[in-house]
Amino acid sequence: MKLSDLLNLSINNLKRRKLRTFLTVLGVIIGTASIVVMLSLGIGQSEAQKEMIESYGSLTTINVYSPSMYGSQEAGTEPLYLTDDSIEEFKRIEHVTGASPILSFSAIAKQGAYEAYLNLQGVGPEYMENIELSEGHLPKPTDQELSIVYGNQMIYNFYNSKTGEGFWSGETEPDVDLMGRSVFIIFDQNAYYSQGGTDADGNVIAAPKKYIIPTAGITDGGPTGYSNYSYGAYCDIDLLKAKLKSIFKKEQIPGQPANSKGKPLSYFVYDSAEVYVDDMDHVAEVQDALSRMGFQASSNMEWLEQSQDSMRMQQAVLGGIGAVSLFVAAIGIANTMMMSIYERTKEIGVMKVLGCDMGNIRDMFLMESGFIGLAGGVLGIILSLTISKVINVLYLNSQAAMYGAAGNISRIPLWLLLLALIFAVLVGMLAGLMPALRAMRLSPLNAIRNE
Amino acid sequence: MEKKHKKPLISVRDLYKIYKVGESEVRALDGVSFDIFKGEFVAIVGASGSGKSTLLNMLAGLEPPTKGEIDIAGKRIDRLSESGLVAFRRSNVGFIFQSYNLLNTMDAEENVAMPLMFRGVPKSLRLKKAEELLKLVGVADQARHMPNQMSGGQQQRVGIARALVSDPKIIFADEPTGNLDSKTSMDVLRLLQRLVKEEHQTLVMVTHDNDLASYADKRIRISDGKIIDMDLSERARTIEGIEA
Repeated sequence: MKLSDLLNLSINNLKRRKLRTFLTVLGVIIGTASIVVMLSLGIGQSEAQKEMIESYGSLTTINVYSPSMYGSQEAGTEPLYLTDDSIEEFKRIEHVTGASPILSFSAIAKQGAYEAYLNLQGVGPEYMENIELSEGHLPKPTDQELSIVYGNQMIYNFYNSKTGEGFWSGETEPDVDLMGRSVFIIFDQNAYYSQGGTDADGNVIAAPKKYIIPTAGITDGGPTGYSNYSYGAYCDIDLLKAKLKSIFKKEQIPGQPANSKGKPLSYFVYDSAEVYVDDMDHVAEVQDALSRMGFQASSNMEWLEQSQDSMRMQQAVLGGIGAVSLFVAAIGIANTMMMSIYERTKEIGVMKVLGCDMGNIRDMFLMESGFIGLAGGVLGIILSLTISKVINVLYLNSQAAMYGAAGNISRIPLWLLLLALIFAVLVGMLAGLMPALRAMRLSPLNAIRNE
Repeated sequence: MEKKHKKPLISVRDLYKIYKVGESEVRALDGVSFDIFKGEFVAIVGASGSGKSTLLNMLAGLEPPTKGEIDIAGKRIDRLSESGLVAFRRSNVGFIFQSYNLLNTMDAEENVAMPLMFRGVPKSLRLKKAEELLKLVGVADQARHMPNQMSGGQQQRVGIARALVSDPKIIFADEPTGNLDSKTSMDVLRLLQRLVKEEHQTLVMVTHDNDLASYADKRIRISDGKIIDMDLSERARTIEGIEA
């Protein structure tokens, strides 16, 4: 029997009982739509989370900390510092494309009556490249003079040193222009806070020297936007090291550890470093290698993986809830097909007497239930796209004002639509399999019996 | 009576069909043997419950015998599987039902063409053939009508056309006039008689009516599952090569 004839017979049989077919299809529509919408919520949530984590920094970057700098070092062991040597070692790990140390230094920034605590970060060019600016330019490693990139929200940290009023207490914007006017940086905080007093030898402590450090740029975001860099201050690490050496000479540089004899070290010890990995898939591997070297390592990827794991669980639950309604629809299909076979017992018998192949009879019924699945799947997809749209519009209206548009919470990727369609057809055929086999095995004698 | 050696189309030997009803056995067929030759119009006659319908069902391969041999066109159909029987019917057998059994969703022409559809014949070809047969049985004007728009006699003519459409080796008819009035019955029987003669068909008809059976060339009378009488017309004698 030709496929076209089989298809024709199946469709005609469905058309014959329009209402019953429609009701059965309706069940599949609801089942398909509930699975797709449920999964779309899960997908939307996990994608939104991924985007959020990505906005905190690259997913292929690992942050490395020295255990000796943050007090988790075991007593009695040689301190493990992050030094230029360890940076070179990191670069030799497989899949690492680069490593950049970060030297943090606490200083004070002053402009007129305003001053602010400044956590100056000396970073390498790889780190610097990721910072987006709204004005100015990034310092280059070839620069001769130290210059600083300020975070776009940095000015809110300034307070009036005479009145003590700041932005956070007075709600008035500090009269600070980081780009336009000179900013003075005080590197020797100890001297600054103890100036006018006396040291151990009874000498009067002089006010520390103020340095005018030019501003290279302001990070992107304007007065309200927030990014990872909004409250930071960044400069080239090599120029910072040179500057610190010239200021403190042989003295102990604040924040740097001393050796066992209490003397300053001859090299710089970094607080942390960034290690760049070639691909997201290798982040965990590299992170392991770093941990084995004794360093503390963390990455957004690790965070993402943990949250994605719990998301997958949540998605499975959501999908499962949707699947229940499709299962109910499948029972509906099976029921409809069984009824149809009881009604058509005689017809099936006649077809068998006239020589219709048993396989053809089975296929005819499988196609009928497959068509129910297909129609339900297609309409269900249309319904779920509509529902998804409505959810997103409602969500946007209610949440956008509060958190800023975080994107759609219901997302339907193309693969989900295709999968839903295939699944609906499969469910239809599977539900129709038992009735179809039953129809195939009906005795041709049913054609002879007269009622 | 002397018989020449001529190969029969259907050969039945020692056919039994035994149903178990509780403890006791019911012998629907109790050792039946006969031959049917090509071109014969055979009537199997008997009262209801005589086993005549059971015999027809077995000849058409609709139910298996308990024991015995059925040889049709050189094939032992008692040994075929169910799907083998379906394939056998598709290429060798036409069937006329008492209640016509036309499919209500199809018009007369499509109903006639149905057995060809099962064979995978393209639509245009099979509808053309169906049209010819509707003309042959005299209901060409009904081609576009649905079964419920036709009279019983017209429906049965469509049913006969359907049985002929695949050029079967043998046609079985189960009380083909059972649902028709006597005048229409005569018409239908004359049609069948004409088809057997003109189209050189072989027809096996089951009936309880002796008058109807008189149209046949050969009458096999059955009672309680046994053949009690077999009589042949002049035509049947000629076909079977029996000399008086």
